[in-house]
Amino acid sequence: MLSQDRSARIIQIVLACAFIALAVQLFRLQIVQHDKYQLQSDKNRTRRLRLEPPRGVIYDRNGIPLVENRPSYTLSALPIEVRGNEKSIAFLAGLLEEEPAAVKRKLDQADNPFVLLKLRHNIDYAMLVKLEENKLEYPGVTYETETRRIYPAGIKSPHLFGYIGEVSRSELERRQDEEILPGDLVGKKGFEAYYDRELRGQVGYDAIEVDAVGREVKDITGAGDRPFIRGRDFYLALDSRLQFLADSLLGDKIGGAVMVDVRDGGVLVLCSKPDFDPELFSGTLSAADWQRLLNDPGKPLYDRVIQSAYPPGSTFKMVAATAALEAHKATPETTFPCTGGVTYGDRTFLCHGGKGHGTLAMVDAIKVSCNSYFYRLSMRLSVDEWAAAAKGYGFGARTGIDLPAEEVGTLPDRAYLDRVFGKKGWSSGMMLNLGIGQGDLLVTPVQMAQYTMMIATKGRYYPLHLVYKIYDPRTQRFYKQRLASKSVEGVSQQTYAILQEGMYRVVNSPGGTGHSTYLPDVVVAGKTGTAQNPHGDPHAWYVGFAPLAEPEVAICVLVENGGAGGVAAGPVAGALLRRYFDLKKAASAANAAPLRP
Amino acid sequence: MRRRSVHEAVMLDDIRKTRVDRVILICVLLFSLFSLLAVFSATHGSKVAAIHDNFAKQIVWVAIGLALFFALTFVPLHIIFSLAYPLYALLLLMILGIDLVGSISGGAQRWFEVGGVKIQPSEFMKPVLVLTLARFFAPEQVNPNQIKNLLIAFAIVLIPFVLVLEQPDLGTSLVYLAVIIPMLYWRGLQPFTIFVIVSPVIAFLASFNYYSFSAAILLISAVLYLSRRSKRVAWSVFFVNVFVGTLSPLVWERLHGYQQQRILTFLGLVNDPRGVGYQIIQSMVAIGSGGLTGKGLLQGTQTQLRFLPAQHTDFIFSVLAEEWGFIGSLAVLALFLVFLSRGIKIAASSGYRFARLATMGLVITIAFQAVVNLGMTMGIMPVAGVPLPFISYGGSAMLTNMTMAALLSNAATQRYF
Repeated sequence: MLSQDRSARIIQIVLACAFIALAVQLFRLQIVQHDKYQLQSDKNRTRRLRLEPPRGVIYDRNGIPLVENRPSYTLSALPIEVRGNEKSIAFLAGLLEEEPAAVKRKLDQADNPFVLLKLRHNIDYAMLVKLEENKLEYPGVTYETETRRIYPAGIKSPHLFGYIGEVSRSELERRQDEEILPGDLVGKKGFEAYYDRELRGQVGYDAIEVDAVGREVKDITGAGDRPFIRGRDFYLALDSRLQFLADSLLGDKIGGAVMVDVRDGGVLVLCSKPDFDPELFSGTLSAADWQRLLNDPGKPLYDRVIQSAYPPGSTFKMVAATAALEAHKATPETTFPCTGGVTYGDRTFLCHGGKGHGTLAMVDAIKVSCNSYFYRLSMRLSVDEWAAAAKGYGFGARTGIDLPAEEVGTLPDRAYLDRVFGKKGWSSGMMLNLGIGQGDLLVTPVQMAQYTMMIATKGRYYPLHLVYKIYDPRTQRFYKQRLASKSVEGVSQQTYAILQEGMYRVVNSPGGTGHSTYLPDVVVAGKTGTAQNPHGDPHAWYVGFAPLAEPEVAICVLVENGGAGGVAAGPVAGALLRRYFDLKKAASAANAAPLRP
Repeated sequence: MRRRSVHEAVMLDDIRKTRVDRVILICVLLFSLFSLLAVFSATHGSKVAAIHDNFAKQIVWVAIGLALFFALTFVPLHIIFSLAYPLYALLLLMILGIDLVGSISGGAQRWFEVGGVKIQPSEFMKPVLVLTLARFFAPEQVNPNQIKNLLIAFAIVLIPFVLVLEQPDLGTSLVYLAVIIPMLYWRGLQPFTIFVIVSPVIAFLASFNYYSFSAAILLISAVLYLSRRSKRVAWSVFFVNVFVGTLSPLVWERLHGYQQQRILTFLGLVNDPRGVGYQIIQSMVAIGSGGLTGKGLLQGTQTQLRFLPAQHTDFIFSVLAEEWGFIGSLAVLALFLVFLSRGIKIAASSGYRFARLATMGLVITIAFQAVVNLGMTMGIMPVAGVPLPFISYGGSAMLTNMTMAALLSNAATQRYF
């Protein structure tokens, strides 16, 4: 009996020890570590919703919306809930038509498993219905509403507007201060990329209470709650009517058109053809579509107006004329004979049109675009004199237009020639080709538009820009950027007068090469170009401005391999100029819708 | 032979007026109250009818359970004594039948249905097994230190253990296994024999790591040396342990991956944040976030927003801990401790061996379940699927627990057969 009492006591002690251990653990959990578990419990039940701001709208100068938003649905998953749930992963893999392992990898790679991971943008209605139906069965699998870009005016101009797409890893790292998450849509190209920060706005946050399957129970006030701020709206200098016309005039041609308001540097038209539908990129671009775009012989992904450089041909002759006049190597009265070509060393440099233009002074040499005249004029010039004039007109540098990835082109100055041919590898004979805009010279259409603007305004100009004004939803005010005017260095007013007279005759005198841009009631001045190039037929150029007396617009049209500039590029420019002045006339007649907002 | 000793006991004991043990009764009433409050909290918010209706069902089970408690309190112990073997045989047959149906239909089966009520025989086996062992060892001459009796005792336990493990219901089968050693100890099994039985289990568990195995063998050798047994016995035990330890990794290699996984998960050696691990984390969060005074009845976010798994069954304590806090949790622990201590006292003071053995077995059964369940919810015990006695939802469990409480009260008040 005694040993039984002892056994009972031992059992009692063992039991007591077990309960003391439980009480100690209870004390640890509920008293010592209470704060930690309280936090964890709050984290469990609260979810911070990310309120995505609508992207800013892009309008033309008259307030016509060009790029707007439309709701679209995005398939998303909450990694913490879906990870390790084979059923949900299989469901997602079925929707995405991917391997479960690939889906798993994406979920595992998510930076923050408590934040929804976007898996597919712009899902179709069938998938949306499937998600809604199976909401309860697959916790953590859901959809989000996002905005998608649409082009209500029918102007898609992908090279101008660019497009938005899912942010890349490298971009995420570069832009860490901007609250961007994997799967977010950001501007990838063009205007959308250049002004992405302003267009995106600021995300907001709202805390909600959720249950274990992620259903919202109620709205609560969380620490980081703040409303979103929508992106800024941009009003462009662009005139959608002219842009639309340029788009249709160029049609199936390969090339581009740039029209600028010379009074403020605002870009009225910026069109590159062929193009593509930027909506292909909002959503998931199929491999087939991507291959089609890549393999299209017209290379629609290339931007032809700011990211491609071409030999300018005769449109560049005003540079040689400027250099000769300013260096006093010639006067406007200096004449040269044209007998169909010029022999230099053992080479003959041909003029166009067979037996020759006869003896010409500078103005008429510009009018008929006589090569012989400019060969002989260029022989008097040093490369440095010519390159200085070209630099003065903005060549060899970016125009600084507010679009990404602008091309510089090639200005063959002394440094360039020394580098490419060696110090002794080239002679001043180079100048013959350079003087007529050939040789190694490469320029972009927007550089050409800027150059034409400088001639039109006789050297005082404003930097090229797309944005006319910005609406900031935070302050509910419009902002205009103040641009300082600039001047072309070292070109006299007399020189501009000679160039303008020559360009006037190109369009308005019999025998001028640019008669296709003649307008009956507005005086147009211009210059054509037919640039030889190693890729086939010559590129057709036209640059011009109007009206001559008080210039308002300058234009540059390029048609790749289009042949003669007066034939292929001139009519496009002519139609755009005519439309510009018709619209202006209609506006002043109606006095209701002023062209300038 | 056995019959006669029963009658001797009757003659020896005073015949006292039968009544209910007050401590046991108060504990049972408080348990029922806690159970109803916790089950209500865990189920009232559910939109799933099968769960939502559990509160109403639990009321019925508590009512039936209390009625059963009072009824069984007055059943003479000799009737219970004589029912032990037939009930054991009956339940074994039922479990076997369920196993067969389960193996044919291919699904896990633990219960059968009679008139819409699910009956889980393995639950009722818990007290019946204790009664069977108690009856077997009740006669004076059945010495637990005899190898024959030891083997019979283990057979009594291992048959239902294996059948229930097959269902598969690890938790319940472990409850069967848990009572054998303490009951044998209580009956007078020598501590050295217990050591001989337990040491291979230690050697097995320690064998997966070189250092732990060396330490275990060292410890076993030390105990053998200090026990001053004959060299023959000491060396035999030593070699058996070394043999088990060396062989078990080889056996382990031959197991299927899922079998290894199951064992490791049970032992808490694998981290499985989505499955079992997730449940434990959520349970610890529920308990910890309760703090000193709790979030208030029906105010526990872990419970009400259903982050807590199996909240009306295995994790019912976490519901109480979250909503009632440290104070409420301690009250639950204290209630169990009072109840079990009272049981031990009854067992120690009972004048008849069957009652002493049965009572202690029942105390061990309830204590084991309580400690394993509470420890599991707090993250210091592996997840074995053991419910919290008296508190967790469940009809069969409620009736079983009430039966066990009734037998304790019975033993406390009946000093005769």
